[in-house]
Amino acid sequence: MELTKNITLGVYLPGKSFIHNLDPRTKIIAATIIIVLLLFSRSYPAFALSALFIAALIIFSGLPAGYVMRGLKPMLPVLAIMWVFQLFLFKDPDAAVYFQWWIFEATEAGLQMGNLIILRVLFLFTITTFLTLTTSVVSLTDGLESMLKPLQAIGLPSQELVMTLVIALRFVLILAEELEKIIKAQMARGVAFDRGNFIQKTRKIFPVFLPLFIGAFKRAEELIVAMDARSYTGGKGRTKMKTLHMGRVDLGAAALMIIYSGLLIYIITTTEPMI
Amino acid sequence: MPIEVINLNHSYKEGTPFEKQVLFDINLVIDDGEFVGIIGPTRSGKTTLAQHFNALHIPRRGKVLVDGVDTKDKQADLITVRHRVGYVFQNPDYQLFAPTVGEDIAFGPLNQKLPGSEVEKKVREAMDQVGLDYKTLYNRDIFALSGGQKRRAAIAGVLACRPRILVLDDVTAGLDPRGREDILAVIRKLHRRQNITIIFISNSMDEVASMAERIIVIDGGRVLMDDTTKKVFARFAELRSIGLELPEVSVLIDELQQAGFKLPDGILSVNEALHSISSALREMEAQK
Repeated sequence: MELTKNITLGVYLPGKSFIHNLDPRTKIIAATIIIVLLLFSRSYPAFALSALFIAALIIFSGLPAGYVMRGLKPMLPVLAIMWVFQLFLFKDPDAAVYFQWWIFEATEAGLQMGNLIILRVLFLFTITTFLTLTTSVVSLTDGLESMLKPLQAIGLPSQELVMTLVIALRFVLILAEELEKIIKAQMARGVAFDRGNFIQKTRKIFPVFLPLFIGAFKRAEELIVAMDARSYTGGKGRTKMKTLHMGRVDLGAAALMIIYSGLLIYIITTTEPMI
Repeated sequence: MPIEVINLNHSYKEGTPFEKQVLFDINLVIDDGEFVGIIGPTRSGKTTLAQHFNALHIPRRGKVLVDGVDTKDKQADLITVRHRVGYVFQNPDYQLFAPTVGEDIAFGPLNQKLPGSEVEKKVREAMDQVGLDYKTLYNRDIFALSGGQKRRAAIAGVLACRPRILVLDDVTAGLDPRGREDILAVIRKLHRRQNITIIFISNSMDEVASMAERIIVIDGGRVLMDDTTKKVFARFAELRSIGLELPEVSVLIDELQQAGFKLPDGILSVNEALHSISSALREMEAQK
């Protein structure tokens, strides 16, 4: 029984690659650009280019590729369900029909729609995981905070927002650990989480959530006390121990991003979309 | 119904960059009716080892046999194994999750698919065994319990499954002396009256010394010692070198011996100490 093994979102793997050394702002902006471009990608060649690019990034980062992708494992059933839904429920009167039963129709359009959505989710997940794996929480916060600073002028509490985000990220792992302990305690008294069909398995999950939520609230309260005890008063007047600097690597990264974006935009506009 | 551990190795986060081996080539046998203490520094692997006994961890390398059932076997009935080997966790908050005491204790028997009357009988017996009053506490809100009562409720919840072997993972941590004594008395009674095998993990050397007949010392994921309580605590220096404290009685006897008093080795209880110190004093008087 080990749940935390498959969680890669929010985990940081220290390293010495140039991707690790980039200014967090560069990485956040680059990740945003990649994500936005992915949302405009609708053809297989476009996805192929992005796949190549991301694969290259992973190789350069020196991270074990298997570990980056591991977090996808628990998501696979959900992805499969999404794909089936798209396949049977996406309606397009002009598309070729593969298979028909009652109100369900598997059409070519549905198939392509399903593929498109799966590809997008896969890429989004990989990029965000890759970002957190190569960037420590502290530098991620610093980067986000400095990027959101201009918005303080219109009254956005940037420091508080970022703090909330960081705590949420941290809690992913903490809650997974807690969940593991609760599941173990119930397994010890005869609940077979690993047996039974889908509905039986789902029903066993409910008694797990009550202690999990109670635990989460308790932890949140303790965290508030701990922050209060250290005189946390929000963003006002806070200074930084480490200030961020953009360097030559960031310039290189920007050049790389421009080449990639240009190529991708060219492919997006010239190739035939899937749907 | 013995537990047999053969060449057990265990790693956390296997297959990730964070992989860490926590158990190395563990071999041991725990027989029926034994009272075994497991001690070792924090993070030495005590809990991980103990969670192999009731198939919460399934070995990847090595084997664990419970009553001859290999927990690694795909066909093995792990539910039965987990009911035979009861496990009381370090923190009762992880274990208690139903709204009321009665419902929580009934959780195990209900999973055994017993009829309602049978479940109620088991709940009543389990509450009796740990000294929780059935009438007043059955419908009590779990969160209204004191620390000591929570521990007892947690033990009762496991006892209601009728285990033959009971693993207690540091169940006295954070209790006041009174609550501690009460829990220890419950455990002694279970061992003596019902001959339940007890595996007692603890950070308190005094408790282990006064309770266990045999002690397994774990350090860095390896079995460092596995012997009778007296023999283990006779190896003072080694225990100290891995950061364990000795029972207070042993410390006193050790210091008296070094100061020149002629006292026998292997004294662990306050009563024994009292007798031997007073007889040593009488001897000294007589010599004068």
